[in-house]
Amino acid sequence: MVPSFCGTCLSRLRPTPRVLPSLTSAPRAAPFHTTAVLSSVLMKKKNRDAPAKKYRERTAFRMKKKRHVERPRPPPAGERQALRKRIVLSNPNALEVKDMKDLSADTMIEARLRGSVLGLPMPMLDQLRASGAFKPHQGWAIFRRPGTVMRSETLEMGKNFHEITSEGAGKGKVFKRIISGVRASGKTVHLLQAMTMAFAKKWVVFTVPEAQDLVIGHTTYTPISGTNPTLYAQADATAALLSRVINSNRDVLSGLTVSREHPSLRSTVKPGMKLTELATVGTTDRAIAWTVFQALWTELTATSPAPSLEKHFQPRPPILVTVDGLAHWMKNTEYRTPEFQPIHAHDLAFVNHFLSLLKPGFEKPSLPNGGALVYALSTSNKPSVYALDVALKQLEARQAGVDPKSPEFPQPDPYANADIRVIDALNVPKPKDAKEGALEVQTLGGLTREETRGYMEYFARSGIMREKVSEESVSEKWTLAAGGVIGELEKLGKRVRVAA
Amino acid sequence: MVFILGVNFPERSLVKKSLENFFGIGPATSARLMARFYIHPTCKVAQLANKQVLDLTAALSEMRIENDLRRKVLDDIKRMRETGSNRGRRHALGLPVRGQRSQNNINTAIKLNRVDRKL
Repeated sequence: MVPSFCGTCLSRLRPTPRVLPSLTSAPRAAPFHTTAVLSSVLMKKKNRDAPAKKYRERTAFRMKKKRHVERPRPPPAGERQALRKRIVLSNPNALEVKDMKDLSADTMIEARLRGSVLGLPMPMLDQLRASGAFKPHQGWAIFRRPGTVMRSETLEMGKNFHEITSEGAGKGKVFKRIISGVRASGKTVHLLQAMTMAFAKKWVVFTVPEAQDLVIGHTTYTPISGTNPTLYAQADATAALLSRVINSNRDVLSGLTVSREHPSLRSTVKPGMKLTELATVGTTDRAIAWTVFQALWTELTATSPAPSLEKHFQPRPPILVTVDGLAHWMKNTEYRTPEFQPIHAHDLAFVNHFLSLLKPGFEKPSLPNGGALVYALSTSNKPSVYALDVALKQLEARQAGVDPKSPEFPQPDPYANADIRVIDALNVPKPKDAKEGALEVQTLGGLTREETRGYMEYFARSGIMREKVSEESVSEKWTLAAGGVIGELEKLGKRVRVAA
Repeated sequence: MVFILGVNFPERSLVKKSLENFFGIGPATSARLMARFYIHPTCKVAQLANKQVLDLTAALSEMRIENDLRRKVLDDIKRMRETGSNRGRRHALGLPVRGQRSQNNINTAIKLNRVDRKL
């Protein structure tokens, strides 16, 4: 074999063929490859941004300093909540429904308006807002102006309200209702209608828009000395109630004056003072808010002046009390006694006061000048209280004329540990006074087909529903809405339908 | 700013959280303490009445919290070590104290069980 080196000059005779391609050379293209292989060679990017090393500068690895990132400031306290709870009552893009009537003292008893949508009077909107009648997500924002359907229950309520105020046999009557019904059946709007009617009739309206707020441990509480069992006053919640009362009933209350001595408020309240001023005392000094509320209630339920103070007395108007979400008042609260026992909602003075109105008054009716108690249950925010379910069944049975001693009368399951206080609270004896109505449960169901038609026409005339309101389409919607459940009808009415 | 037991708390902070800042007070103790003085669960420090602040401070100063509690825990471990009890010995060895197995997974014990425990 011939050596590859020259033996004399030690030079390579001929270069050996290179078997391995050099690592530095570009990869060779396979004949079947379609990509531009040469261009795939990565050029190392030169770090131009890095500053040139200076003389005697350290070259070791250094952690980059965290750069301070400018974060936008969070929105100010309360702004997000305000946005969440914002209530929009008008949509300027919706068509104005011509010849739409207002819900007023005259129209609330007109039976032929059944099924039509009546607007809430524009000057009354501020009062309704102040009393917490509107809730967010109720769908007011899709129409030009807020309006409600006159359903049979509304007309019946209007008739009752008219009776209480008019001169007749029904003058000064008291109606007591617990409103129940399936979800979105219009319970809260029923309360709104009650408030509107009461404002139209110049009644005094007390509202509790969220019964839950009193029991979830979000407001201050203090024991009331001298009460056994101990009752607890909620100063902030009472002050809020007083401010709702002042703002929504300013006209009525400023026409009435304090007509008796209030020994517990001797330094601040004098006979002859306006009732708005009396209520303002409670909102400014929250420590005495509960005492002021009691004084205000005594004044409003007075039927005659105190002796020697006749000149300060004007006849008191009827009172409407509405509560939304009653079930929250039927269980233990988040508050605790000093012994760390949970406080029952009925031990809160505020709750106790409004629940005690359901029972007939001792000598006089619970609302001596007449009025109505409309307490609504809620189904979307409903704590499960077994005792309340039983108590409502008992109420319905009593209403239907079932004897409480008969075996058909619903009784709580002895093993279910039902809260006896709840059953007692709704176990209302028959009132002695003829003017005081018994406590009733009113169940709101769906609208009738005629009412549905009126409601759908309102959608069509507002330009929200773009289809013909015919017998067929109304029937279809009524069925899809589980038999005319009004909240479901609203969803169907505002849904855009594309013709197939 | 409100002083509770000599510590300054911002007004926007919850009373519950402020109380739980003290070593030795957890959710249960703070809830009981607040119920004792009729302070509702979502109360903020700014909403406390002067009397409630004084009452809280008085109640806290009677409780064994912060350094007193730390000292007590260390003393207890030291006492157990000195009496030569099993718990004391296990503390000294940095091993589980309450009968757990020690073949593996005793990192918490290694970290915490010492005679001079860091608190």
